Amino acid sequence: MVTREDVENIALLSKLFVPEEELDGLTKSMQEIIDFADAINNAPASAEGFDCINNLSNVFREDEVVPSYPSEEILRNAPAQAEDHFLVRNRE
Amino acid sequence: MGTIATIHEMLVKKQVSCTELTQRYLDAVEQANPALNAYVNVTPDTALATAAAVDKKIAAGEEIGALEGVPMTLKDNMSTKGIETTCCSKILTGYKPIFDATVWEILQEQNAVLLGKTNMDEFAMGSSCENSCFGGAANPFDTNYVAGGSSGGVSSAVGGNIAAYGLGSDTGGSIRQPASFCGVVGLKPTYGAVSRYGLIAYASSLDQIGPITKTVEDASLVFDAIAKKDKRDSTSVGGGNTYATLNRDIKGMKIGIAREYLDGVRDDVKEATLAAAEVYKSLGAEIVYFDLPVLKFALPVYYIIACAEASSNLGRYDGIRYGYKTAHYTGTHDMICRTRSEGFGEEVKRRILLGTYVLSAGYYDAYYKKATDLRGTIISAFNKAFEQCDVILAPTVPMTAFEKGHAVSDPIETYLTDICTVPVNIAGLPGVSVPCGFNAKGMPIGMQLIGKSFGEAQILNAAYRYQQAAPEKFRDTKWGVKL
Amino acid sequence: MKYELVSGFETHIELQTKTKIFCGCTTQFGGEPNTHCCPVCIGLPGTLPVLNREVVRFAIKAGLAVHGEIASVAKMDRKNYCYPDLSKAYQISQLYAPLIIGGYVELSSGKKIRLHHIHIEEDAGKLIHRHGDTYVDYNRGGVPLIEIVSEPDIRSVDEAREYVEKLQQVMRYIGISDCRMQEGSMRCDVNVSVRPEGSETFGTRTEIKNMNSITNIVKAMEYEYDRQVDLIESGGKVVQETLRYDDVSGTTSSMRSKEDAHDYRYFRDPDLVTINIPREEVEALRAEMPELPADKCRRYIDALGIPEKDAQLLTKYRRISEFFDAAIEGVKSPKTVSNFIIGQMFRRAETESDKEQFDLPTTPQQLNALVKLLDSGKIRNNLAKATLEKMLDTGKPATDFISESDMGGVDDNALLALCKAAIEGNAKAVADFRGGKEKALKALVGNVMKNSRGKADAQAAEAKIKELLG
Repeated sequence: MVTREDVENIALLSKLFVPEEELDGLTKSMQEIIDFADAINNAPASAEGFDCINNLSNVFREDEVVPSYPSEEILRNAPAQAEDHFLVRNRE
Repeated sequence: MGTIATIHEMLVKKQVSCTELTQRYLDAVEQANPALNAYVNVTPDTALATAAAVDKKIAAGEEIGALEGVPMTLKDNMSTKGIETTCCSKILTGYKPIFDATVWEILQEQNAVLLGKTNMDEFAMGSSCENSCFGGAANPFDTNYVAGGSSGGVSSAVGGNIAAYGLGSDTGGSIRQPASFCGVVGLKPTYGAVSRYGLIAYASSLDQIGPITKTVEDASLVFDAIAKKDKRDSTSVGGGNTYATLNRDIKGMKIGIAREYLDGVRDDVKEATLAAAEVYKSLGAEIVYFDLPVLKFALPVYYIIACAEASSNLGRYDGIRYGYKTAHYTGTHDMICRTRSEGFGEEVKRRILLGTYVLSAGYYDAYYKKATDLRGTIISAFNKAFEQCDVILAPTVPMTAFEKGHAVSDPIETYLTDICTVPVNIAGLPGVSVPCGFNAKGMPIGMQLIGKSFGEAQILNAAYRYQQAAPEKFRDTKWGVKL
Repeated sequence: MKYELVSGFETHIELQTKTKIFCGCTTQFGGEPNTHCCPVCIGLPGTLPVLNREVVRFAIKAGLAVHGEIASVAKMDRKNYCYPDLSKAYQISQLYAPLIIGGYVELSSGKKIRLHHIHIEEDAGKLIHRHGDTYVDYNRGGVPLIEIVSEPDIRSVDEAREYVEKLQQVMRYIGISDCRMQEGSMRCDVNVSVRPEGSETFGTRTEIKNMNSITNIVKAMEYEYDRQVDLIESGGKVVQETLRYDDVSGTTSSMRSKEDAHDYRYFRDPDLVTINIPREEVEALRAEMPELPADKCRRYIDALGIPEKDAQLLTKYRRISEFFDAAIEGVKSPKTVSNFIIGQMFRRAETESDKEQFDLPTTPQQLNALVKLLDSGKIRNNLAKATLEKMLDTGKPATDFISESDMGGVDDNALLALCKAAIEGNAKAVADFRGGKEKALKALVGNVMKNSRGKADAQAAEAKIKELLG
């Protein structure tokens, strides 16, 4: 059972605002999707389990330095920057 | 038809210069795009610069590769250095990557002519392309219909002859479904065959890049070019080498049909699929029927895993390093929440919330854990099925393209359209959608050939033999460049 | 009622690999902001992590150093939380299948602080807060860390201090980290609870985050112990929460805000594959391990006859113990070497990092040569001491400061003669000494030293005079 509180909590975890007037609608819609997902509870218990596709293991890099990017490149897409840092102003 | 093979031949025989050809495509884009809305960003400068380089090579008498100078497109979730890459989301407005996706790096080495970036459902979440912040792409067979999704822009462009081919990505059917809707070929490779480096993630364990083309041989050519092991993607294996065996005789090939794949499928689609089976029989293949009951869990398993991974993958869009940032806020938390709430569309937010829910304390075991366990069950069910057959034949989508505006109303009804495509992603298998007929209104129907892990050569061989036997199913549209 | 302190530690240690855990950027400390970065470590969309092999090897060494079990299968998980210093909004870490399971750190009392596990993960970037604005630098983002999670076995601040020191010591020994708390390459989250003495059940714990000096750890634990005891005594209840310690006010305060929902939604990172650790690789790494400080200390005491306190001093820093090991080659008494190092050389390595480096002008071979001169009786102790000072000032060998005639030394017969002469020539001093004035002895020794031009061994002379005077 998905509650309003559940939706508020997952919205906070997801860093999304849900306007008060949309909360009931969203709770209902989430409940429908969860009901749909609940179908898996009728599935037989799996003996196989799942690790990762293709069962790959031990893919590593060697510890060798690759030149980093210049900070102008790193900051190129920043919505705000100052003194070679990404900047988050307290308010705008 | 403007296939890769045709264009290559024209360039080699100097029937057209690459610049001339590229300009024809760019003109066609300008003409057709207002109706098709396939492109969200056209890149004439890049295209013409590459074309000039190819012309220089040809003039110098140098040999050119199969993909060299061929005008193409990329779905807008593949990173292109210096070229805006938005995933058709407001939240990535203005984002210009500082690096290239591996697939684009490979194609640039082959002088692929990039005409532009194409439309998609926001972050590849959708089945109609209508979840794009730029509005949906239209179906080239009838612009009142959707192109499908999420790689709707690529399939619309290829079906509409405003790109010879394109790369899409497929997480739950996003290459195969729009290919089916637009009457073109779409290959979703085995997980790991093509590098995901630079592909903006939706669901990392399901995402795979693949070609959307006009013919099976084109799909094979492009796949062979891009299926390379990449040390930047830990899950990359590589693949390729399908072209040499395309025309192999399929006499004795066992083609399996799982009854569950035909459940709930519309009659016209079912009939076209079974008619294709008849074609295969006539080619000497053997049709084997079997059951795959676990398929009924595939859809919820898919949505749980995909949304869980998406909720994590999409956490990074916070207005600090790139993309959209809200105009007014108080404090960092407020800035991040506003940016995300304003920047993401409804479907993306819905999936983030669902994904957060199934991973959260108290629900992880019942949903996420259970779904990954079932994933193991589905994989072994496919393994067993492949003991009885070489290739599985199924519809790509239970229906043909729907009219615009139809998909948005009920999310679950929309999710159901993915029923035939998601099992392949869950199991990491290759699947190709091939045109196999038309409904009463002339809209294309696609069938799907599913192969064993890294069995691309086999499914493309089967697809190619079908294309040879039933060329009338590969119908062109009125749009774009006619060669 | 008396209360017992109960504490467990989560210790983050930055590994000294050349490159970050998932990309090829350098791990060097400092650097201009955002210059040790690439698309991977700033989490640009579409980038993927590839695990640095050396990180796994370093973590296994850490595990071996604390007697942990090295897992044969390990996996990487995502820990999801949104904060500006975390470029992907998740930290790649390990929850479900960490590299190292169990292990312990043994204190000098013999008590073992048990470890729950050790896992590998990536560090976050750095935030600078100025006038309410936040500046973000991702140079540190993606630097490899191990997190050593202890069981709540610590019962006093002294145990806590020793636990941290022991970890610091052993991790430096095996060369995986410099463990510099002031630079943040070692940081502790300290869990504290109290319970009535004799009680078997644990009290509610609080967690003090990100402690970056042993002094502050001790102060914060003491403060938190008092706070919790006061709270309980006055009828209150300890609330399970995360605290920050303010070293200016010396108090702890809650970090909780309504914006933080604590649910990390860990799940397997689909971008990274399984880590299988073959037993042969573990054995190969075990073979590469240096002698650990505890073993070394035991050996110094048992085999070399070094007093326990000195053995602990010698083994505290790996470089010093290695210096000692090289300097005792072929000498009669390793204790003499130890005395020189502790007595004279330690003073020259003032700071923690000087001791860590122990990069003095004098080489172990030079000290070894000096001690051998002493062993052979060619020079005396006081000359050796003075010579060592000169050696340490200049980096030159002992022979540069000791002439042939010095090395003629003063043999036992000559010393006897000198002592006799001193007694004969200083009747007053002899009388004073016999009358009970111990000081008078100094005058006699001084005479011997003067007549030998300082070459005689003062201690030997004093002993000899005493002997002669009955």
